[in-house]
Amino acid sequence: MVGHNESSGKKSSEATNDVPTLNAESLQSNMKIIYYSRTFMSIIGGVIAGILGFTGLSGFVLYFLIMAVTSVGLIAKAGFQVHSYFDSWNQIILDGVLGGLLSFVLFWTFAYDIVHIF
Amino acid sequence: MGFSLGFLVGILGVLILFHAAYSTVQYRGLLKIMEEEFSGPPITVVAELLLGLVLSLWAGLTVPGTFLSIHPHSEENRIVALPANLDFMIFNHRGKVFPVEMDLKLKH
Repeated sequence: MVGHNESSGKKSSEATNDVPTLNAESLQSNMKIIYYSRTFMSIIGGVIAGILGFTGLSGFVLYFLIMAVTSVGLIAKAGFQVHSYFDSWNQIILDGVLGGLLSFVLFWTFAYDIVHIF
Repeated sequence: MGFSLGFLVGILGVLILFHAAYSTVQYRGLLKIMEEEFSGPPITVVAELLLGLVLSLWAGLTVPGTFLSIHPHSEENRIVALPANLDFMIFNHRGKVFPVEMDLKLKH
């Protein structure tokens, strides 16, 4: 499937020489959707980690668990046909994972302070 | 976008999370009275958190919009790709001699 897509894309780009092999605007819109989902889920994960009273490493483990679940959800949203919506698997699995970490820590400490300290 | 179903589900999930936080605060107050140590939230709070997580996940996946196909030859990209071949459209042909029925399209 993957090899077939790549070979056909190459062939068409050689033949027409100028027409792009993928729609850049759609790809950009898809990436924006992924960033929205990841940011929202990192905030929710931070609130959950704070309410559960996690401290230290376990909170980060929870964060990466939630990001993995979000990745699976995004792949399911794409109908398990990642290559018709994205260039590579990295874009749907890895992009934005570290970017949400800061908002996760912010809401983690925020919820922890409200629930457990005050 | 308006208040779509996913948006309402997300609000419900966040409200459930707030309720779980409130329950934990009350539980900690109870522990303070009973002079016990906090070892973990009660099972009802954990269940609430799981429910809130699932609802928020669903909202977070549906609200931002649907994925668009990046293949230029796919069905849904036919109209998007139309301006790419404007150079090949010719209107100076014999068809322009005949009168165009403009109202025909408006009636549809």
